[in-house]
Amino acid sequence: MSDTGDGSARPPLFGPGSQFHELFDDPRWAPAMIRATVLEAAHPQIGAALIDNSTFVTHPWRRLRNTFLSLQRMFGADDQVRAKEAARLNRLHTRLRGRDANDRPYDATDPGVRAWVVATLFESAVTMCRMSGRPLPPSAVEQLYGEFRAYHAAFGDEAGQLPDSLPEFWSYYDRMVEEELENTEAMRIILYKLFDHLPAPPLLHGFPTLWALGRAVVGPAIGAITVASLPESFRRRAGLPELLGAGALMQGAYLTADLARFLPEGWLRAQNVADLLALSPGSDDPRARTVTALQERMRRAGALLRLVAPTSFPAAPAPPPSGRRSAEEFFRDVLDQTGDGYLTWPDLAAMARELCGRLDLDEPAETRLYDAFADWWRELQTALDTDGDGRVSAQEYAAAAPALAGPALIRTAEVLFDAADEDGNGRIDEAEYRALFRTAFHRDTAGDPETRTDTVYTRGAFVRDFLSFMSGRRLSTPYDPLLADA
Amino acid sequence: MIDVIEAARSAGVEWLSLYAFSTENWRRPDDEVAFLMELVRRAVRKHAPLLRARGIRCRFLGVTHPRIPPALAQDFADLTTLTGESRRMTLTVAFDHGGRRDIVAAARSLIRGGVPAEDVTEESFAAHLPFPDTPDVDLVIRTSGEQRISNFMLWQVAYAEWVFPPVLWPDFRAPHFLECLHTYQQRERRFGGVPPKQNGAP
Repeated sequence: MSDTGDGSARPPLFGPGSQFHELFDDPRWAPAMIRATVLEAAHPQIGAALIDNSTFVTHPWRRLRNTFLSLQRMFGADDQVRAKEAARLNRLHTRLRGRDANDRPYDATDPGVRAWVVATLFESAVTMCRMSGRPLPPSAVEQLYGEFRAYHAAFGDEAGQLPDSLPEFWSYYDRMVEEELENTEAMRIILYKLFDHLPAPPLLHGFPTLWALGRAVVGPAIGAITVASLPESFRRRAGLPELLGAGALMQGAYLTADLARFLPEGWLRAQNVADLLALSPGSDDPRARTVTALQERMRRAGALLRLVAPTSFPAAPAPPPSGRRSAEEFFRDVLDQTGDGYLTWPDLAAMARELCGRLDLDEPAETRLYDAFADWWRELQTALDTDGDGRVSAQEYAAAAPALAGPALIRTAEVLFDAADEDGNGRIDEAEYRALFRTAFHRDTAGDPETRTDTVYTRGAFVRDFLSFMSGRRLSTPYDPLLADA
Repeated sequence: MIDVIEAARSAGVEWLSLYAFSTENWRRPDDEVAFLMELVRRAVRKHAPLLRARGIRCRFLGVTHPRIPPALAQDFADLTTLTGESRRMTLTVAFDHGGRRDIVAAARSLIRGGVPAEDVTEESFAAHLPFPDTPDVDLVIRTSGEQRISNFMLWQVAYAEWVFPPVLWPDFRAPHFLECLHTYQQRERRFGGVPPKQNGAP
């Protein structure tokens, strides 16, 4: 592979000039990524890991943004960034292991498993081009495969999991589809549940009706389109339904996505889309301000409508009692990150994972934070798991919620403070605060002098805020966009 | 009420506050309280479009008591939202308001923020009061012949001029308001010193 000899400069494996970079902003990725994720989830080990640990059903937008950032780092031109990201993913993967419902072990660091993830990404990229009627030329496929092999190699797994040559890859791929893939629960959730319940991205929280309407139309279509794009042999074996016209719909979707290439340059940038989806209204980004302004106008129109309507008009649902949310809401919005209705270690691990990602933590700070969350989990389990089934249900939580701020939670707050206080001056200044919450200081004229006194956060104030949020006592702290938003 | 607001606006007043209901008013009989609530609610709903059209920003000071009917609180919130962008005049309606409570809240907020004692100044303290952008009050009109402060915006009225027209509030109209304004213009405001400064409009 490294032998060229013809004298011409080889195209780079990563960054500008690579085949992946060519395809990066392609809107066909949207359906292709869903397809790749379904194929990943159909692998029994990956499916089990997703079911146990993943937050993608409850926090799909956050998850999408993290995936996007990670791919960008891994395929960028900077080798140092790539090495750092690979190390981060390796650490993250070592924390994802366990046993599935049939007591089969799963392990995210299994080299075969990781090879399959890379294989689905590569194959979906090739397929998205075929489906839209503009297949990649063989040389480009060859080049793209080389890049994905390099991506896999960056993790430091032993070679040989991904075949050396492209023909060998296709037989490996076909064998995996024929023999390894199953109709897993995770796959069914992605196909039939995720898009029907997809929460609105943070930016569109002000338009719940609009979102629900669009979702009701588009949600089932996404499932059908994805099924139609899966390998035929797998569809047959997994017993996935063949819907009349789904094939045509699928090709139409890929074609339409491909037509977007005629849009003026710069209109469709994956970066912009990902940023937009992750934006919180109220942040200082100009685009967020535009949307916020629009939401303001909608809000005012709604207010006027309510005021001039006759009093007998059923009033809008009462806003939650100021500044507090019920224990149940808090359980659903914040604690139950995996959305399975129970609080278990993976929920807290997901919070730790998100915080580590935000703060870009390295070892040993990352382990310290995980350990703190693990201690907190043991504390919660001891205090709340009254029926002894190893997990905490919403009822168990609601029954004991007031007594939650134990020593392990306080310790968690302190560890988080130390991690966020990068320069170690005992205060979280503006830059550190932004790194943690990533939304700007949205302070209106009335202000909320209770949460923050100035642009710095003292240890005491930070710990107190964290405790009052984590014990569900206060709404609308900076933690909401961090842990509660989708 | 709307009469007075209109008069103030055309006279060029930029900040107007009305004392609608004090924290102590909850001690009144239940049916009187309920009647007052209904009255305020009707007024808010009736005048909302006009207030919006006149560019008057409305906001409500206080409004924390759990006894405030949710429908009324919703109307307050809606009116605040509706007129939030307006800046020609700011109308603050003190409802379930107590001046002492606001001062206590500011002190609490300072202590929570861990501000060292020597850093507390009049300005920094005022920044922790609700609606810290409210300027010092120039003129307080106490109607109905009463001559008490009644726990009204205690911090902000420190150097206010006071007038006490005998007319009852329900009968208080635009001409009465302009008369009070005129009285105020005749006053010499010294703020504790002796600057021979002439009063302008508030």
